[in-house]
Amino acid sequence: MGCSGSVPARSSGQSGGLNNLENAGSSDAKNLRVKLVLLGDSGVGKSCIVLRFVRGQFDPTSKVTVGASFLSQTIALQDSTTVKFEIWDTAGQERYAALAPLYYRGAAVAVVVYDITSPDSFNKAQYWVKELQKHGSPDIVMALVGNKADLHEKREVPAQDGIEYAEKNGMFFIETSAKTADNINQLFEEIAKRLPRPSPSS
Amino acid sequence: MENADVFLGLHDFLERMRQPSAADFVKSIKSFIVSFSNNAPDPERDSAAVQSFLANMEAAFRAHPLWAGCSEEELDSAGEGLEKYVMTKLFTRVFASIPDDVKTDEQLSEKIALVQQFVRPENLDIKASFQNETSWLLAQKELQKINMYKAPRDKLVCILNCCKVINNLLLNASIALNENPPGADEFLPVLIYVTIKANPPQLHSNLLYIQRYRRQSRLVGEAAYFFTNMLSAESFISNIDAQALSMEESEFERNMESAQALLSGLSADMDGLSNQNDESEGQISVEQLIQSKHQGVNSTKEKEHLTPVRSSESKSVKKVTFAKDQEPITKVPSLSELENKGATMLLKEEKASQVFQEYPYLFAQVGDLTISDVEDLLNNYKQLVFKYVCLSKGLGSATSSLPSSVLPSQVQLQVETMKAPEEHKRVELNDESEKDTSETNDSSNQVLNSNEEKVESQLPEDEEKVERGGKNDETSK
Repeated sequence: MGCSGSVPARSSGQSGGLNNLENAGSSDAKNLRVKLVLLGDSGVGKSCIVLRFVRGQFDPTSKVTVGASFLSQTIALQDSTTVKFEIWDTAGQERYAALAPLYYRGAAVAVVVYDITSPDSFNKAQYWVKELQKHGSPDIVMALVGNKADLHEKREVPAQDGIEYAEKNGMFFIETSAKTADNINQLFEEIAKRLPRPSPSS
Repeated sequence: MENADVFLGLHDFLERMRQPSAADFVKSIKSFIVSFSNNAPDPERDSAAVQSFLANMEAAFRAHPLWAGCSEEELDSAGEGLEKYVMTKLFTRVFASIPDDVKTDEQLSEKIALVQQFVRPENLDIKASFQNETSWLLAQKELQKINMYKAPRDKLVCILNCCKVINNLLLNASIALNENPPGADEFLPVLIYVTIKANPPQLHSNLLYIQRYRRQSRLVGEAAYFFTNMLSAESFISNIDAQALSMEESEFERNMESAQALLSGLSADMDGLSNQNDESEGQISVEQLIQSKHQGVNSTKEKEHLTPVRSSESKSVKKVTFAKDQEPITKVPSLSELENKGATMLLKEEKASQVFQEYPYLFAQVGDLTISDVEDLLNNYKQLVFKYVCLSKGLGSATSSLPSSVLPSQVQLQVETMKAPEEHKRVELNDESEKDTSETNDSSNQVLNSNEEKVESQLPEDEEKVERGGKNDETSK
């Protein structure tokens, strides 16, 4: 009873759906539920972005009980629809790269993160984009995120590089700072706007 | 709280199945289960059949007057109850039923048994500040419980609990160190490490079973995420090579070989031992060292529980056979010959038992021992070893190495067995207290059984597991 309050009647009307695993849940036109996977080198601040997003919007003191590898957060959009993000973090170390397909399978959104102070991480980000183009679901929404934007004096990846690469690959691009919370909410709101909507019933 | 809900849900479900209007449901469930036993195992088809049966039944529940006016939670519980019931019935038929799966289990378990000998947290990119092997034991234990349950949900809960323990440990470490909260970069490596150290029984089959038979509409969100992590841990482990652990090819090969040698050496040692000792003792040691491949923690415990009784009963006899075995090997007057002589003399002596009075534990039964005896036993052991080594040195016997390698393992076993009953007792106590809490439920079920058809008849025995499965459940929803 205690926990179920946070899961608003999700299972209603989906009897017989056998392949829900692929969509990671049900959605209707007004309330989307999407699986978002985070990719990027270790140390670029993937989990910090999520934590900032999840904590920042509600109670900043709210205790995260299970770490930041899986978090969910619902945002309300202006058109009175809501989007519930289920955010899957992935291990960014090289040795785990081959496991990524298990995580991005069925994801509606992929957020590829790099660190603007690390050209290596930008290269790695491009690797992930190619990987997703090859093996991700064809209608996946992709965002390229240059994190640690607060460290401008150490910047090694010009914003222009990110913009150009994103444009070439039809991605949404933004620079964020998980530390200062800069552009964090914008990132998720932009993603929410770009999600394909199930054909509206009204 | 939550597990109580699930548990009540199951009872509620059974309760409703008793209603006359549920007769059709009972009939469909029965015939579905029966239909299964008529066909040869085919995982794809079986999984699809179960998933659609569960889905259809849940839809039917929703439309049925029995559940009129019920909340989503109640319907959900009914679905859980149905899944648990059906899968408990089908378990032996669908779990690890394909030779390929059984083979994969064995290969994986063998590989883990080797890798666990030398893998270090650093090999997996676990930062030093997050290393905490002692606490990880808790997570390993959760994972090792996986074969205690039959229902997909309960098995899944073992995995989720393991993940939860890891997450809590990482989170606490990060708070203590004032570091960023742990994400997947920190979590997955630890999960892999814990899995390697735990070598959970039939890992591959268990994961496939959950994937196939956990109702798919419930394997979503957080549960799906952590389950995916477990799948990815399995995938990583089964593909482990030098590169995956950042080792030189030659170093990796060497490590694998010496691990292999160690394991086979152990079993050879134990084989040798079993000539002289009670066979089961040797088996136990091997099992403990290889971390029991296919059995749950329980079965090992049971054996531990059994041995001391036997070994203490047959002690003096054993000494004799021991000595006899040594004879052909050593021709010079040796320690073992002396032993042999002594043993013969002892046997002739009328009051043999008095000789042993200074060894208070010789005739002790497992149940007599307590934790506080450990110190005493250890001291006794040290004295014995010391005496023995001195004696053999004094004799200049070449055989001294063999018996002294026997002795520690014997005594280790005694210490082991002495601790075991304590643990065992505690487990039993827990079990009892759990039984106590479910007693009322059980008895109500008994009533149900007595006047219901066979479909229900095995439920009470699952009941306990059901409850225990739900016990630590917080992450599953």
